[in-house]
Amino acid sequence: MALKKNKITRALLGTGVLTLAGLAPAQAQAADGESIIRDRCLVCHTDTGDASAPFSRISEQRKTPEGWMATISRMQQQRGVVISPEEKRELVKYLADNQGLAPAETQGLRYVLEKEPNVLESFDPLLQETCVRCHSGARIALQRRTEDEWKWLVHFHMGQQPTAELHAGARDRAWFDIALNQVAPKLGNDYAFNTEEWSQWQAVEKKSLDGRWAMSGYLPEKGQFDAVVVISQNDNDRYSVTLEGQYADGTPISGSGKAIVYTGYEWRGTLTVNGVKMRQVLAASEDGQTLEGRMYQRNDDVMGGKVIAVKNSAITAITPSYIKQGERKLLTISGNKLNGSISLGAGVKVISIIARDEERTVVIAEASRTAKVGSRDIKVGRTSADDLLAVYDELARVEITPSDSIARVGGAGGSIPKQKSWYRAVGYAAGADGKPGTADDLRLGYMPAQWSLKPFDEIAEHDNDIQYAGTIDNRGIFTPGDAGPNPERKMSTNNVGNLTVIGMVQDGDQTISAESHLLVTVQRFVRALID
Amino acid sequence: MMKKPMFSKLTGAIRNTALTAVIGAGALLTGCAATQPGSNQQGAESLPNGMKGDGHEYMLTVTRPNQLHVIDTETDQVLRSCDVPGTFGNGSIAISPDGRTAYVLTGMYENIYGFDITNCEITFSTHQSYDNVQVKSFISMAVSADGKELYTVQNPVRKHSDRFETMQPRLAVFDTSGGLKTQPVRTFPVDRRITKIAAMDNGEVVLGGGDLKAINPENGETRLITALQNWDRAPDKWVPPDAFAMHTMGEHVGEFIMPYFTIRWNGEPGDESKADFLWGHVRIDLKTGDVEMIETVPFEFIVFNWVTDPNDKNVVYGSFNQLSKHNFKTGETLGIHALDHTYYNINMTTDGKKVYVAGAGNTVSIHNPETLERIGYLKMPGDMSTSDLRLAVLK
Ligand code: HEC
Ligand code: HEC
Repeated sequence: MALKKNKITRALLGTGVLTLAGLAPAQAQAADGESIIRDRCLVCHTDTGDASAPFSRISEQRKTPEGWMATISRMQQQRGVVISPEEKRELVKYLADNQGLAPAETQGLRYVLEKEPNVLESFDPLLQETCVRCHSGARIALQRRTEDEWKWLVHFHMGQQPTAELHAGARDRAWFDIALNQVAPKLGNDYAFNTEEWSQWQAVEKKSLDGRWAMSGYLPEKGQFDAVVVISQNDNDRYSVTLEGQYADGTPISGSGKAIVYTGYEWRGTLTVNGVKMRQVLAASEDGQTLEGRMYQRNDDVMGGKVIAVKNSAITAITPSYIKQGERKLLTISGNKLNGSISLGAGVKVISIIARDEERTVVIAEASRTAKVGSRDIKVGRTSADDLLAVYDELARVEITPSDSIARVGGAGGSIPKQKSWYRAVGYAAGADGKPGTADDLRLGYMPAQWSLKPFDEIAEHDNDIQYAGTIDNRGIFTPGDAGPNPERKMSTNNVGNLTVIGMVQDGDQTISAESHLLVTVQRFVRALID
Repeated sequence: MMKKPMFSKLTGAIRNTALTAVIGAGALLTGCAATQPGSNQQGAESLPNGMKGDGHEYMLTVTRPNQLHVIDTETDQVLRSCDVPGTFGNGSIAISPDGRTAYVLTGMYENIYGFDITNCEITFSTHQSYDNVQVKSFISMAVSADGKELYTVQNPVRKHSDRFETMQPRLAVFDTSGGLKTQPVRTFPVDRRITKIAAMDNGEVVLGGGDLKAINPENGETRLITALQNWDRAPDKWVPPDAFAMHTMGEHVGEFIMPYFTIRWNGEPGDESKADFLWGHVRIDLKTGDVEMIETVPFEFIVFNWVTDPNDKNVVYGSFNQLSKHNFKTGETLGIHALDHTYYNINMTTDGKKVYVAGAGNTVSIHNPETLERIGYLKMPGDMSTSDLRLAVLK
């Protein structure tokens, strides 16, 4: 239905029957986007005369706001398009709204939009081997095109990167032929232009995000925080935002800024939080009651973490998320509109309430010695959350996240800053079978750890990487060494290194440690909107 | 986020270090060449202009921003530097059989200039791109045995107003007496991914692509010399070769040589503990057309090329972070010498008395083939990056 209406509007616009006057706001915006295309793009692109796909190369692809931004930036930088910043913003918004991705189409791929570091991708081998070499697979999987458009994309690569077929991983096969005749048809099928998800999403009535929200999240420098986020709508899909709250240790967190929503759910916020410029890349749920994603420093996108905000009554977190049999400890329950009696599940009692408001309740809780090992649902009044708190007997193993990571040297007067990395320790109990490392292990959640480094292998030891590559602090944040050749090192190599990160968790008398791999490498000179 | 290829950690490591670095270098080139007037040009009347004919040997290379250098192998000094028009691409050089003309690929792999190396005079030029067609050649340039024709493999892409269209590559034949701004006299379709090429004495041109082929530049007839990618070895025994194919060389002994990497599975395919990681190569005698293909040298060294010892064709030298010497017949390592930095490229004099390593920096290091000890060191005025290092034997 929505699709049909859109088609008619487009067709009419094409004939010039409709003018801006008299259109509803949403349509007025649509007209704007279209007239920008007509004015700025049809010098090279053509009006096909086909109302269902009016503009050559433009109308038969769909992508994220960042995807559209990247394409239009290429049109500016490499094809010589002249477009004002205002028009560009307007056009990205128009294209993302009308040729975007449905929420379901971004599922499992949001890490690249959220700029989450150290994600190991694994796509179908044909795609992985042919395409996932210069950029992420998510850059591809976050687009929808007709088969012909996937084919033109392959041709584009050959003109843009003429040596693409000669790189390692390409020169030992008929790369162009494989890309054109195997990959493109597969993409046309797996990531087709017309999808059920998109038609459905277009038909959904998009909710305003205006209102008072409760957010909780984790930022590597100061840890877990809770905040009240007030979102006020200024204009169609444009909002201003304030954020007020505290970290677990009581330090205030406070900020404000603005945000824009693309495609009815893609929240992109820019805020200044405690004096630091930050970005929010969040997705709104279909019911407009949850915003979930990542918040990170604008100038250092590794330094950020997952956040979730809720508008209705909901529990978003309990910190810590574990309690040992027979233990008495302080727990913080975070969420929104939390009123009424608190239940922490069988065998766990609330001894006293230390502090309480609607977003945050701090309690002293006690687990009985005989409380059954396992996860508990939590309830505050009529609001509940499943499997949020773990009751355990004994810490059995620890995992370090991420398990594989990269940091990059930088700074030292150069224009590229250091790229840090950071780690957290996740604890597990052995579960019913008493054996750690099996499917029934009970995840306890993030646990505080002591951090250290060692050489990854003999070569790293021999080259004394540990001395040059960088240091890790007690929060688990690794800071790499300075950029540039180091005359102290063999062949004056950079301060690169191959290291093992060790996290040691103390639980009662017990100490358990785990390791993760860290490669410290050279700067990345090209940064993309979508890696 | 780079995933290592399934079949080998070793190739993964190497790809991540050496090869992506070198190909990446090509892709990252954006610098503009300074267009200073040729400062080293001397009067044309004093030919050969400080140079000796009668088979005297000169080593040629290109540095950024974009200059062709002529190094006298007797004194190991830069004798002359010629400014190459346009933006540095990958510094490929092809030399006429009389050693007098050096054809340099420039303008981001698109344009070719022919220099008289005795005086820097530009005697030949072509801009391969035309209309809305972008034409690039990757390395591939060769001069016919009689010096009358220059061959390139052209990789055209038509740039329409709102899309690109990849076209079939072709062998382009130029008349070397065509002068400036000349265009091909003939073209013939060829495979994709051809990098190094060489002209045989019988008139055919060796095409170093996925498989090694030869094309007759008169009529375009193509024959297979030896299959690499499509070799008929059992896939559960051998991993198809990965040829690096970075620089054309072998002129000091009249051969074309193409190293490649392969794995022999002695146990289950994928079982690296039982596998042999091997260097192989195809070597073609350009006079006779004889072909040799063997895998003996263990893949313990990263090299970009092998250069053959003129005094013993079983002995070859390779360079990267170290200079190494090997016996092709036995697979034996005959010597290793640590280098002061990475050198992509290597060549030798025809008497086999000197090994030169160059590229990936601004020094040329000269070594004794016997001991591999350094016997000379030359600071160049700019970075050689991926440039060729080729031997001109001046008649
Ligand atoms: C000066 C000519 C020119 C103008 C003006 C121009 N484009 Fe393009 N466009 C191209 C060319 C050439 C290509 C194919 C190469 C490429 O993808 O970069 C292309 C490709 C595209 C593609 C396909 C990209 C892909 O990933 O497959 C899109 C979408 C696009 N243009 C959008 C636009 C928009 C929107 C505008 C106006 C803001 C615009 N173009 C203006 C020349 C132009
Ligand atoms: C040799 C490196 C390389 C390989 C291999 C490669 N790409 Fe790309 N790709 C690029 C670069 C560079 C860009 C960015 C161009 C720009 O916008 O400036 C890009 C952009 C893209 C885009 C975004 C284009 C747009 O404007 O929306 C998509 C989608 C994509 N590639 C898909 C693929 C697919 C599919 C393959 C495999 C067939 C592939 N890539 C293989 C280098 C590569």
